[in-house]
Formats: sequence, structure tokens, C-alpha cells
Amino acid sequence: MRLISLIAWKEIKTALREKLVLALGGIIVLLLGLSLFAGYLNYEQQQTIITQTQEVKRQEWLNQGDKHPHIAAHYGTFVFKPKTVLSLFDFGLDTYTGTSVYLEAHHQHEFMFRPAQDHSSMIRFGELSAALVLQILMPLLIIFLAFASFTRERESGTLKLLMSQGVSFQTLTWGKILAYGAILAVFLFPFLMGIMLISVGEFQQDAIPDVAIRLLLFALLYGVYLFLFIAFSVWVSLCSSTGRNALLTLLSSWIFLAILMPKTVVNLSENVYQLPSMREFKAAIEEDKANGLDGKSTRSIRMARLEKEYLEKYGMDSVQQLPFNFEGVSMQAGEEYNNKIYDYHLGKLRKIFQQQNRLGSMASLFNPFLSVQHLSMALSGTDPHTFIHFEDEVEDYRRELVRKMNNDMAENSHYGEFYGYKAGSELWAEVEDFSYQTPTALALLKHYWIEVISLAFWLGIILLLIFYTNRKLKPLYG
Amino acid sequence: MDRSTRTLIRYEWKTFYRNRFQLLMLAVIFLFGLYAIYYGKSEINEQRQTIQAVKALEHNEFSAYQASFTEEMKTLEQERAHDIASRPAYAWYRHGYHAILLPHDYASLAIGQRDLFRYYYRLTGMSLHYQLFENELANPVNLMAGNFDLSFVMVYLFPLLIIAFCYGLFSSDKENGTLPLLQIQPIGIRRIILTRLGFYFVLITGLALLISLIGLFSAGNPFKPENLLPAISWLFGVVVYNAFWFGLIFLIVSFRKSSSFNAITAVGCWLLILIVVPAILNVIVTTKYPMSSTSLASLTRRTGLENEDVEEESREVIMEFLAHKPELAGSDSLIKSNMLPKAYAAFTTLKDMNSQQEVDHYNAQVLNRNVWTYRFHWLNPAVNMQHILTQIAQTDLKTFLYFQDALADFHGKITDFYFTRLFWDKPILQEDYSNLPTFEMPKKEIQWAALWLGLGKIALGAGVVFFLGFININKGISR
Repeated sequence: MRLISLIAWKEIKTALREKLVLALGGIIVLLLGLSLFAGYLNYEQQQTIITQTQEVKRQEWLNQGDKHPHIAAHYGTFVFKPKTVLSLFDFGLDTYTGTSVYLEAHHQHEFMFRPAQDHSSMIRFGELSAALVLQILMPLLIIFLAFASFTRERESGTLKLLMSQGVSFQTLTWGKILAYGAILAVFLFPFLMGIMLISVGEFQQDAIPDVAIRLLLFALLYGVYLFLFIAFSVWVSLCSSTGRNALLTLLSSWIFLAILMPKTVVNLSENVYQLPSMREFKAAIEEDKANGLDGKSTRSIRMARLEKEYLEKYGMDSVQQLPFNFEGVSMQAGEEYNNKIYDYHLGKLRKIFQQQNRLGSMASLFNPFLSVQHLSMALSGTDPHTFIHFEDEVEDYRRELVRKMNNDMAENSHYGEFYGYKAGSELWAEVEDFSYQTPTALALLKHYWIEVISLAFWLGIILLLIFYTNRKLKPLYG
Repeated sequence: MDRSTRTLIRYEWKTFYRNRFQLLMLAVIFLFGLYAIYYGKSEINEQRQTIQAVKALEHNEFSAYQASFTEEMKTLEQERAHDIASRPAYAWYRHGYHAILLPHDYASLAIGQRDLFRYYYRLTGMSLHYQLFENELANPVNLMAGNFDLSFVMVYLFPLLIIAFCYGLFSSDKENGTLPLLQIQPIGIRRIILTRLGFYFVLITGLALLISLIGLFSAGNPFKPENLLPAISWLFGVVVYNAFWFGLIFLIVSFRKSSSFNAITAVGCWLLILIVVPAILNVIVTTKYPMSSTSLASLTRRTGLENEDVEEESREVIMEFLAHKPELAGSDSLIKSNMLPKAYAAFTTLKDMNSQQEVDHYNAQVLNRNVWTYRFHWLNPAVNMQHILTQIAQTDLKTFLYFQDALADFHGKITDFYFTRLFWDKPILQEDYSNLPTFEMPKKEIQWAALWLGLGKIALGAGVVFFLGFININKGISR
């Protein structure tokens, strides 16, 4: 152990002599700071606007005046996607998912306004976030640190000297890995403190219920990722004859894993599983609303069936005799049927999304970068599953709102007297304000077992590689 | 070309084709280029198919309307259909017309923002803003990853190829011990490096041009008048952009450090230019010009008259509207017949007029952001190049903002068509169907001046780095 720390200490000293490494490390620390600062500003700005507007919309709903409940259901309300505090760490999909949705009777609207639409095509180059720095830039720093770890000793002949002192390859390797790990930890420390402070300061009003657990998982995730990269770089250096070769191998792998492959996989998934267009999607829904899911029960047939059912149930001859307003009942029945149609079509659509994303998950088995990218988004609450969960909660809220309106209409108004009844603020207040909590991290991780396995798998592989290569190496040929 | 240059090139060619790894890299890039062309084509073809499908839906809708004029009315549903076809009180908010932004032939080469913005809309006479903000279906994961199109290959991958081929131009001779042999030759080191750099410039830029030509020819005939200038500027852009990267690598090489240093510095520059700087600019622009779509969201609310049973309110709304559109007044039965549809038509139009300012303000903010980022194109040839390629392919932000303006005009045409009939209490006749409003995207010329200025900026950048390298390399060379 003493030997390992001795080797590590020597390695740290050499690294600190490299101006390039220090410069790059400095840049990374700066960028991390900048990303946190800008992320925080953006979070504050958006969060303030969203909370304010949500409150305004709530007041509009409560103070909409006396009107017929069905008109109120059409007047509807809006929901805005809250920004989570951890999204300042990893923006994830936030720039590309819609941010607001209009809730009204009869129609499910999709989320509108993707923030990327407010940018020029430069937005497609990506945005600076801590995740970008850690996922893409950090590996480059690691490569710079470690590519020569063994080749330098080999080229300058110190490797043989070390061996003759009785140092084993295993000790040497682990000493070096420890050294680079320690350097990164020092670089990352201020950043860790920063993100802790921000999260602790903000989490009470946040949509994420388990910020602390997520932060721990973050630390674990990036710890594993950076360790993987360090170990891989040292291993490549161990296997390479010259520093130049090691560097080229590492740089090409990095470009392939972090730049080329993620894009290619996603693009392929789009070619394999094709989405319908919005117009066709909506047209299919309208078609089913008109002719029924079976294609035979048109709206009028469905209405007649419902009327008959209710008249038989209550033993009456006409709907006017029913003890409630049948219009409210039929309105709600129509709403529920529409919901069924929507769920069917949305289900099909979601399935395509899921298939596309599943391909990305499978690819992560070959590319730990993808695993980290997906898991990091999940922990930040900016992944596809959190968004789907949010969409579902919003739709449930809409259904509850419309149901309350229709039930009130059935109970309190009279058949055929649409203008005769007006509900007031008491009914509006019965609809609770919308509030959102993301699923817990552990619940989310169920969707990401492939990614977790991938990381564990790569961790195992790299440890085995280091172990076996070290055993096989002979100092004489080293 | 004198003899020594010829000799240099001959030997460079020999080292090049004996290096299997380099040949492999060229082949890989070539294949990536072909894949990118295929991918872009498949994306845009899908959009073309959607456009066809959408047109077919519209065609069916209007054929059904027209058919209802000749059919015999038997069922209640048939009568309803005929009402929708012939009575403006129903038709104005039910008849949907598609406004389509057809892709430019070269859109498949630089998809740009085309996957993010809508390229077709179905518009009825209802409030424009109620219909304007719905998004196209898209998987956000795919939007985030971006497109592997030819512009990506040109902007991201070719610089890497250039770095891979040229980072060791001087240092490898030093490291292999051939440098002293070169130094005793009568030609200077600078000239040797420049000749070799020139050799790779021709080779790699040649490959880039070849792939581009394949792309340009497979996406559309470049000799068509509307394609000729875009094709030429694409090719020119590729040459200039590659020149910049060659200039940069020349500058790095001119410091005459080790191969590892050169490789690290070059990749560092690549990272800076293609990832770090744009990422920082994006974050700055987001926080410097904060935008919130929440104000626009409110415009999409379906609102109506407060008390539609009170005649006075309807009358007031109609009158307010007619003050803006006096040409629609004058019908004897203005208030008597179809009062509620008229009131609603008036209401949504007035609402649009009131909220237009909000939309304009929002779009102006988006443009502001654009103007701000545009200033940094001097600094960043990659972003500049990407922008130029999307301008050429007409997939840039401005094209879509322009499309929105055209939508507003088209919506005006639609409402004019229905409202004249609605307010004058005239039915829609069968012959009116041969005279329906149609969408036209006004011919928008690419802003060539701006585009060439952009290219000029890249060329200037190339000149500066090359010049610095040229000066730098001879410093202390005699040592």
C-alpha cells in the first residue's frame, strides 16, 4: 500500500509539471463553474416565470366568473413544465421537449414550444452543462494525463529500473490509476461543493422528491465513468509500444464513443422505427371519434346506445324524466370514449418512441458513454421516462377537471337548458391546483437496467483486462 | 512546378499509399459520407411522404364537400355533410387548408432545423394563433442527438481527418530521425512542409468535394437554375472550410513540438471550436436573452363570447369587427341570420389582431438572439459553416420565421374567402370550389450577400492562421 501511494505521489508530481495538463484542468474547472452559474441563472429565470405564470393561470381559472361548467371545461387551463433543480446539472431533453400544454374538454393537446425553437441552428451544437463537461471534456483530460503513463517509462527506460526494484506491474498500474483519480478529485471538489449548495438551497420547492439520493447516485455514476476512462487509458498505455500510438488509439476511441456512435445509433433508430406525422396521428383519432374504434359505431349510434341503456336502467321513457341532466352524462361518456381512443393511439405512438429509445439502450451495452448519458438524464429528471410520467400526470389532471365539470352539469342543470345554468367559483375551486412530483430515482432506474448492467459489465471487463495484461507482461520485454 | 516539388509529391504519395491505416481512414470517411447522404435523403423523403399524405387528406376532405353538391340527400349525415360544404356558417371553421414549406432539393444534405419546426400546417378560418403552435411529433431524444447528415460530416468529421493526416508533418521526421536528412537538402523546411501540406489539402479536399458532388447530384440536379448557385457555394464552402483547418494545423505544426503535443493541441482546438465555444455561446444567449413561451401559450386558449345567449354582446363584437373590415358590412340580414357564427368569426379575428403584437414581439426576440450569435461567427468557423450550409439548403431559422409570415397571409386569404360569404349571407356554391384559396410561399431568395460574407469570414480566418504559421515556422529554424 505504501508503495502504491509512493508511485501515485510521483505520478501526481510529474503530471503537475505538465503545463498543458494544468491548463486543461484549469479550463475544465472554469467551465464547470460557468456551467453551474449559467445553469443556475437559467433555472432561476425559468422557475420564476413558470411559477408566476402557473399562478396567473390558476387565478384565471378560479376567477373566470359564473358560467356553464362545459364552457369552463373548454376555457380550461394551462400546465407548464417545471424545471427541476438537477436539470441545471444535465439539461437532457429539456431543450427539446415542449414546455406548456393547454388542457380543455374533448381534445388532448400535445406539448407546445420546444425551447430549441427559439434558437438558430447553433443550438444543435449542444449547450454547456456540467454533464457535457464531465461526459465529453473530462475524458479528454484523462487521455492527456494517462496516455503516456507507461509508454514514457518504457521509452525512457525507467520501467526496467522500477521492475528491478521489485515493483510489480499490478502495483505500478494501480498506483497510476490512484494518482489520476486523486488529481480529478481535486479538480472536481469545488464543483461538488457548488452543486451540493445549490441543491440544498433549492430542493424544498422542487419537483424532485429525493434530491439527496440522486446526488449520491450522481457521484457514484460519474465516479464509475471517470474510473472506467482512467483505467482504460492506463491499460491502453500499458499495451502500447509508443506514446504516440497510445494517444491515437485513445483519441479515436473517444471520438467514436462520445461523438460518432451516439448520433449514428439514434439516427438508425429513426430509420428503423418511423413515426407518423402529427396530421395523420390526429386524423386517425378524429376518424375513430367519428366512427368508433371498431369502425362501425358512429357517434350517433354510440349516443343512442347510451340513451337506451340509461332509460332502461331507470325505467323511464325519455331522458327529460331522468333525475339528472342526461347531457352531462352523455358528455362524460363521450369524453371517456375519446380518452379510450386517445390512449389507444398514444399507446401506439409511445411504443415507437420506446422502440427507438430501446435501441439506444441496447447500444449502451457496447458503449459506456451512452449508459452514462442516459442514467445522468434520468437522475436529473430530464429523461424521456420522466417526461412521459409528467405527460400522464397532466392528462390525468385534465380528465379529472373535465369529469368534475360534466358531473356538476349532470347534477345541477336541466336537460335542454344550456343557458339556464351557471356554476361559480365554488365549483372552480373544487378542481385542485396542479402540482407535480417526479417519480423517485429508484422507480426510474427500473427503466434503465440495461444501462446499469452495461456499466457493471464494462467495469468487470476493464478490471479483468488490467489484471491479465499485468500478469502476462514480462519486465524484460516491457 | 519544379523538379524538387515533383519529387516531394512523389515521395509523399508513396508514404501515403503504403500506410494502410490512412487509406482505411479515408475509406471510413467516404462510407460515413455515403451514409450521411442516405440518411438525409431518407429523412427528407419521409417528410415528402408526409406532405403527400397530408395533401391526400385535404384532397379527400374537399372531394367529399364537392360530392355533396351532386349527391341525393338521403340520410341525416349526408345532409350534415352538405351543410358543411355549402354553408359558410359551418365551413369557415371546418374547411382545412394545408400550407406546406416544400423542402429545397438540398435540404437532405443539411437538415438544419427542419426536424424541429413544422413544415406543414392545416389552417381553418379559426384563430390563427390557436393553430400555429402545435408541434410536429418527434422523439426528443432524436432531436437532441441531431442529424447525421452531410453537413455533419463536412463540419465535424473532415477536420478530424485533416488533424489525423497532418499532425505529424514535421514532428514525425524529427522523431524518426529523418529530419537531419531533410535539413541538408537545398530546399527549406518550410517549403517541404508546405508542399506536403498542399498534397494532403488536395487529397482530403478532393475527397470532400467528391462526397459533396455525390450528395449534390443525388439530391437534385445541380444544373437546374435554382440549384446551381447553392451547389457552387456548397462546394466553395467546403474548400474554404477545409483550408481553415489546414491553416490551423499548419500553425500548430509550426511550433515544431512533439507529435503528441501536436495531436493534443489539434484535438483540443477541434473540441474548442466544435463543442466548447458553441456550447458556451448557447448558454450565454439563453440567459442573456431569456425567453418564455408562456405568454404565447395563453394565445392558444379556446375562448368565446362571455354570454353567447345575449344578442347585444354578439352584435357589439360583430360591429367592432366590421369597423376593421368595412367591406364586409352591408348585408340586410347582418344580425338576423347566422348571428352566432358571425359573432364567433368576428371574435377570433379580433383576438388574433390583439395578440399579433405579442407574437411579433416574441419573434423579434428570437431574431435578437440570432443577431447576437451571428456576431460570433467571426470567432467560430464551424458554427459559421453550419449556418451557411443550412442557409444554402434553406433549413435555417430564418426560413421558418419567413414561413410563419406566409402562414399569416394565407390565413388572411382563407378568412377573406369564408367571411365575405358568411357576412354577406351567401352560400358556398359548387363553382366556388374551383376558386379556393391556395397557399403560396413567396419566392425567397437566399441572402447571397450575407452568405458570401460568411464564407469570407472563414476564408479570412484561414488566411490568418496560415499566415501566423508561415511566420512562426521559420523562427529559429536555423538552430
